[in-house]
Amino acid sequence: MTKQRFILTIGYLTLLIAALITCDLCFGSVNLFSLDHSDPLFQTILYDIRLPKTLTSVIAGSGLALCGVLMQSLFRNPLAGPYVLGVSSGASLFVAIATMLISSVNISGFYFMGKSIVTLFSIGGAFFVTLIILMVSKKNKNNVTLLLVGLMLGQILGALQGLIEFVSSADNLKTFILWGMGSVGSTTMEDVWFMLPVYLAAVIAAFFLVRSLNAILLNEQYAQNLGVNVNRLRVTIIIITALLVGVITAFCGPIAFVGISVPIASRLFFKTSHHLHQLVFCLLLGACVVLTADVICQLVSNQLMLPINTVTTIIGSPVVIWLLFKSKLSVG
Amino acid sequence: MINVKQLEIGYNKGKHPVSVFSNMNMSLNAGDLVGLMGDNGIGKSTFIKTLMGNLTPLSGEITLNNKSITQYSAQELAQQLSVVITEKVGGFNLSVWDVVATGRTPYINIFGKLSDTDEQTVITALEQLNLLPLKDKLIDELSDGQRQKVMIAKSLAQQTPVIVLDEPTAFLDHRSRHHLFSVLKQLCTEQGKLIIVSSHDLELMKTYINRSVTMAEGNRLEVL
Repeated sequence: MTKQRFILTIGYLTLLIAALITCDLCFGSVNLFSLDHSDPLFQTILYDIRLPKTLTSVIAGSGLALCGVLMQSLFRNPLAGPYVLGVSSGASLFVAIATMLISSVNISGFYFMGKSIVTLFSIGGAFFVTLIILMVSKKNKNNVTLLLVGLMLGQILGALQGLIEFVSSADNLKTFILWGMGSVGSTTMEDVWFMLPVYLAAVIAAFFLVRSLNAILLNEQYAQNLGVNVNRLRVTIIIITALLVGVITAFCGPIAFVGISVPIASRLFFKTSHHLHQLVFCLLLGACVVLTADVICQLVSNQLMLPINTVTTIIGSPVVIWLLFKSKLSVG
Repeated sequence: MINVKQLEIGYNKGKHPVSVFSNMNMSLNAGDLVGLMGDNGIGKSTFIKTLMGNLTPLSGEITLNNKSITQYSAQELAQQLSVVITEKVGGFNLSVWDVVATGRTPYINIFGKLSDTDEQTVITALEQLNLLPLKDKLIDELSDGQRQKVMIAKSLAQQTPVIVLDEPTAFLDHRSRHHLFSVLKQLCTEQGKLIIVSSHDLELMKTYINRSVTMAEGNRLEVL
């Protein structure tokens, strides 16, 4: 991909994101244009409700897409992604455990402590599953085996989470179910400030891996012969993925589709395998996908907030299937 | 250039080392096209992995330019020795250019940006193997012979004085095998590279190589 085309594509995607952010801020149950700018209701809706939701969409979409690229390159498997390989399920289970603990010791009134515990548990869960998947991939390099192990792990962790839900109180059960459907609409600006440093650190760290990621696409032995410290690369990717999936899942619930599909769509659309391009495009495209899904949620119903998972999957999956059939390009 | 002294190769299985071949001694020089021969399972690939630095010698040492290969950092070794292995490369939209450009990995910055000199090196490597017209093709669209040439071009772009090829003719037809070996021979004679090739094709080896290393049962090593 030429430098001009790279910059032009970034420009187009940035414009698209700007348009989607505007739509996301404008659409909702209350028509903002009918309110005066100095009206306290206008300020509350815009700054306390819609802005955090929009920023969360950008963080969740781009963060999960970034995890998808890193995992697909590390495992050299286009079907890898945080949701498919059970990483999100690991984070979910640990969030459920943390929520139970918090409600039992009654520290929910302390914002920072409560959120920190949930987030740390979520990161721990994501880290635990990523580590298992990595160990399996070292023992058995077959793509299908890896995928099946990921799916089975997801099922086991889901069942354990079901068990926790079964014994939890009615209030906790409702929280679990709604949170499990995925939502970007329940975050506050405090939550965004909580997520932002982790997100930025992970994104910056990912860009330092570009050279190594390009080499590992050949295979591990070639990468090692090209001077890449493969073990260090693996550990860095596990940490970045666990941090991002953990933080995003803690605040938004497990979001399906984005992590696996955005990197595939990016390769098909932009026809590149260079990770500098892939990382930038996936960050922008991931944000576009979740913002679009959130806008659609608003358009479908003003009164009812649809689960983001439903929209991302129903709209996104057919697009990728269509792209795969239409394109002769190899995605993996 | 490469000196092997009292080398014992093998794997560490848990706490116990498993010896595959021992008492290896040889001296290989720039410009040599070395044929590495022996039956399946004798230890050719283990020797190659030890040369690459993927496996640590159980005892003895391999020196490259009078320095033990275990003392080279990964990046330094990548600037001295490149490999072409049997495992196929493909998928992920990898084009011929992308694969050959990875040869510049030991020389470029962490963001993977190729300088004009790096790009010229990649172009030269592609030209040497007549691959320039195919540079934008996806690697998955190439024949096995062309893929093998792409991996050799990657090694050329890596600009190492030593190239090691593990069974490079495994998927090639008669004509492609001869073409590949004539290219290797040319690289040795014209650029003074030391090339080590493992293969079961004795006839082909006899035609092109000027040095041979034969590994046989009972740790018998014949170096000619």
